[in-house]
Amino acid sequence: MSAASVRRLIVIGLIALWEILPRMGFIPELFLPSLSSTLAAGWNEAGEYAHALAVTLYEVAISMAFACGGGILLGAVVGSLPRPRILIMPMVSSLYAVPLVILYPVFTVWLGIGSESKIAFASIYGFLPTMLATAAGIQTIDPQLLLAARSMGATLSQRLVRVIIPAAIPTVLSGLRVGGALVIVGVVVSEMLISSAGIGYLISRYRTILDSPHVFAGVLLVLAMAVAFNAAIKWIEGKAAIWQTGTRAGQSAEEIAPAALQPAT
Amino acid sequence: MQSGLGVKAARVAIVVALFAIWEILSRTGIVNPRLLPSASDTLATLGDLLQRASVRKDLAVTATEVVTAFALAVPVGALIGFLIAENRYFAEVAKPLLFFAFSIPKSIFLPMFILVFGVGFSQKVGFGFFSTIFIVIMSTTTAVESVKVEHLTVARSYGATPMQTAFRVYLPSMLPVLLEALRISMIFNLTGVILAEMYASRDGIGHQIATWGENFQMKQLLAGVVMIAAIAIAFNELVRWVEARCSHWRT
Repeated sequence: MSAASVRRLIVIGLIALWEILPRMGFIPELFLPSLSSTLAAGWNEAGEYAHALAVTLYEVAISMAFACGGGILLGAVVGSLPRPRILIMPMVSSLYAVPLVILYPVFTVWLGIGSESKIAFASIYGFLPTMLATAAGIQTIDPQLLLAARSMGATLSQRLVRVIIPAAIPTVLSGLRVGGALVIVGVVVSEMLISSAGIGYLISRYRTILDSPHVFAGVLLVLAMAVAFNAAIKWIEGKAAIWQTGTRAGQSAEEIAPAALQPAT
Repeated sequence: MQSGLGVKAARVAIVVALFAIWEILSRTGIVNPRLLPSASDTLATLGDLLQRASVRKDLAVTATEVVTAFALAVPVGALIGFLIAENRYFAEVAKPLLFFAFSIPKSIFLPMFILVFGVGFSQKVGFGFFSTIFIVIMSTTTAVESVKVEHLTVARSYGATPMQTAFRVYLPSMLPVLLEALRISMIFNLTGVILAEMYASRDGIGHQIATWGENFQMKQLLAGVVMIAAIAIAFNELVRWVEARCSHWRT
């Protein structure tokens, strides 16, 4: 049997087990409600979930603009200039070791429990990996392309627009994927901790009243969001694959530091 | 090290400058000192907190949880990763699934751990384990794949025993990758445990930080943030230092 079909069987099997085990009572409904009751719970409260989803998506969109915009911009600057790179990159990667969740209480004190504190937290949360990925990717640009451009008398702005940016697109996209996933996590986590609206808030509220089906419906919704985002970026990556030739030996940023760039929670 | 003395001095200068800006912003009242106590006050509070028995107890609780989760996740994850990497068919089946599990956010499953384990030690260890294991599996597979086939062939044709192959071929080639994996999984683990403590807990330093935040005790809150950041960075740098020592084994 081919690997792909075994994989499909495993996935189908897991989904079936999710339905069967709680139904047969092997796992208490409190721990794991069956798939059908989860979906039913989500469907019955569709209005509430839709409203929460709107709040969360709004926060995600704004944070993503901050995190990815800032991260890509700063990463491009730091990555293309050798001096700041040597100076700052090790500092940024040690900063990456800090569990950033501890900053969230600070933001709630400063900005209150509304959307602002979530946006601030998620922006910071997504910013560092995006910046690291972009800076690492800029370094993979084939130096010969730059050399050729420079020897033919390209100005700095021409080099930036014609060489660096097109060659950096794959990197920027993978930075966007990592940063975007983290922004989604950041928003949902901060909503789960302290907030008054959004999917994370719904999950936490139903958790405190031990209403498992509704908790899982919320979790499924967040999962769907993360998967949809991933798929969207993959699609754009496929469209932009034509630019891939710009990097050294066609390697992408992911191959350089696969683990270091992944979401930490 | 490729970085000279000047670069190091510049890095220290940046850190000092950041603290100086923090101090000035607060002292001159550009930022409300009640919202941002000055750096010197925060550091004084930090020293004060470290003297307190309750804070020390919280630190000990968190450390126990982190170490337990780490001690469970690393061997289990390494074993699974090793098995997957050694069997080609198995790897083909499991890898995309693992990669998917790896890429989905783990923190949204935190409520599930509370529903199953209740609020307590096992819930934090469980969540720490859960948020660490996938990265360990992924890194171990990468580490095993970094072993060169030629080296194995040479060892085998010279009649190396499995033990010799393990210690003379696998370990040296895998060590740099494994150390890196250890460092990153510790980051994941620490984040997982602290998040779990902040979310629902009765003790632990994460819980303490969340409480300080809710009570607007900014000095204690910032001192706690500085403390955890310092611990995390110190661990990270330590492993990186070992990594640099071992890098001559990288082939």
